Amino acid sequence: MITKKWEKNLIILTIIGLVVGSWGMYQRLAHGHLAMNYGSFVPWGLWVAFDLFFLGLTAGAFLITVLTYVFRIKLLADLGPLAVFTVLVTLMCEVIIISLDLGHPWRVYRFLLSPNIGSMLFWLVVFITSMWIIYVPWLYFLLREQLVAWGNDETRPGHKIYRFLALGKTAYTDQERQRDSRRSRFLSYISLPIGLIFFGAHGAIFAILHNRPIWNSAMLPLIFIVAAMLSGGALITFLAYLYQPSDELIQPLGRVILLTLLSFLFLEGLQLFVGYQSKITGIVTSLDLITIGPYWWAFWIVHFLIGSLIPAYLLIRYPENSKMVAVACFIIMVTFLSVRLNYLIPDMAVYKLEGLQNTFYHQRLRPEYVPNLNEWLVSVWVISLGLLTFLLGTRWLPVIQAGKGEEQPV
Amino acid sequence: MARDLPVEDPLVRMQRDLKRALQKNPKDLKWGMVIDIAKCIGCHACTIGCVAENKLPPGVVYRVVLEEETGRYPYVGRRFVPRPCLHCQNPPCTKACPVTATWQTEQGVVIVDYNRCIGCRYCLVACPYAARTSDFGEWYTAETAELPGKLYGQKAAANGYEAHPAAEYGRKWPDRDHDSPVGNARKCHFCLHRLKVGMLPACTTSCVGRATIFGDRTDPNSLVYETIGSPRVFVLKEELGTRPSVYYLK
Repeated sequence: MITKKWEKNLIILTIIGLVVGSWGMYQRLAHGHLAMNYGSFVPWGLWVAFDLFFLGLTAGAFLITVLTYVFRIKLLADLGPLAVFTVLVTLMCEVIIISLDLGHPWRVYRFLLSPNIGSMLFWLVVFITSMWIIYVPWLYFLLREQLVAWGNDETRPGHKIYRFLALGKTAYTDQERQRDSRRSRFLSYISLPIGLIFFGAHGAIFAILHNRPIWNSAMLPLIFIVAAMLSGGALITFLAYLYQPSDELIQPLGRVILLTLLSFLFLEGLQLFVGYQSKITGIVTSLDLITIGPYWWAFWIVHFLIGSLIPAYLLIRYPENSKMVAVACFIIMVTFLSVRLNYLIPDMAVYKLEGLQNTFYHQRLRPEYVPNLNEWLVSVWVISLGLLTFLLGTRWLPVIQAGKGEEQPV
Repeated sequence: MARDLPVEDPLVRMQRDLKRALQKNPKDLKWGMVIDIAKCIGCHACTIGCVAENKLPPGVVYRVVLEEETGRYPYVGRRFVPRPCLHCQNPPCTKACPVTATWQTEQGVVIVDYNRCIGCRYCLVACPYAARTSDFGEWYTAETAELPGKLYGQKAAANGYEAHPAAEYGRKWPDRDHDSPVGNARKCHFCLHRLKVGMLPACTTSCVGRATIFGDRTDPNSLVYETIGSPRVFVLKEELGTRPSVYYLK
């Protein structure tokens, strides 16, 4: 369980992260994309990988909200508000990092003025916005009772802010509780289809490009959904261990994570098998970049050995030990960036046309992409901001205290 | 022997074709290009001509010349495949753009509205021919030393050329800074600004081997129409169904 000391240390760490990362942010804001390493042949780099990483974390939290409020699984009830809050924090990180990746982020209003409804990217923005529209009021309805109570508690520091957040309410009646509960349930029902399409749409953005050797597959959206559930599920299990340490909760979650991990490895193996058996040059070259390329270690050591085999061993060997389950989930979560990078970069690093590498020499026209320090610093800044928001949110907002779930159907 | 020699420079005929095309109703013409690989000598003059015409910054290139080795020793050869934007009639890039910043004109030219583009680079990822590049804001004079008050310092050198973007799409663009086209996807537009005033695209006029043929592909009297009918004609990655408006002759 997270102690006050740990929480304080983590807050200090995030502040250091924000300070260190601000150099990268300065480079990005002052010099645009000039200080970054991606180019025209590998147009999407580390930040898009992080976008997918955050998406995965959102998905896990989403899964818990759906299981808690749509399927009313009592076991998870305590995690409900925390999961809804986690969805918002990870969405925030996703939106920030992908906005920084845009050449002209201030033109996002163009999505309203000149939308292309045939573009998957347009729909992704629609679904991201929909998630915000659903989850912000949902969190509010879940916290309102506690906000009113905290607003009334004059001994609590900042009670006036809580009263303001409760819109000046000093009493919370049973009628209001039932109304908020109905609203929460309504939002949870809407979130189910929106969320599933949202996570599938991320995979579809890549899968529909018929010129891409390993992306262009009907299996990709499914892999993206399973990947999202795995990394996000791991996050929530880890958070559950920190904030609601209960063997009854952690152990079944551990079994779900193990099953999801094995499913993901099966799908990944299937993709490698089908790809290699196709013997199509573009596909084999892309897969070779993943398995035997210069960054083979990211796949075999970071993802397969550390991120899959070790957690699988821990989850199989110690299913009754909540601490081991949490450790396994933490390892899965932090190593998952290598999976995202391996899905993203190798496909783009394969030349689309024979001889393209000899046509024009410029660093922006090369297939070799390695994120530079500025890209990492910006990522550190965004992660630190997200973590700080999460820590302060759990400290200053009643997301843990409101964790009573939906055990009382209305 | 004399009969094999062209009776007139293809450029003269293309110029005549262009003049005729511009008199047509714009809705009735479709621009097209044919590149005769047998005639391309790999001089890269089209690449340089395009860079100069459009004042392309470092890392941005509209027309490259691919070099391929053919055969096996001792029967080896080399061929050159210039690759502009292929102006697909079924373009994957325009479908990818989430904000309709790129589209196909009535004349079949795929263009980009720099002021609308958000710089997501999805079109770069979607293009099967790597025909789009992103303008990351690079400067040729970035490494030049600044000598305040001198004519040959970095600022003076930049002001002499690259600080002022070319009039692409027939529009005046602001001096190069953080504004468009910096941060945008950029691509070949068949030199629409030149066509508008009756000039052939820069790559066509700069082609010393006369390997690039340009014109209205719906005009039966045009050279481009005639060459598209050649049995040697092919398109790149035909299997993708993008139906390029740029054809090649083997």
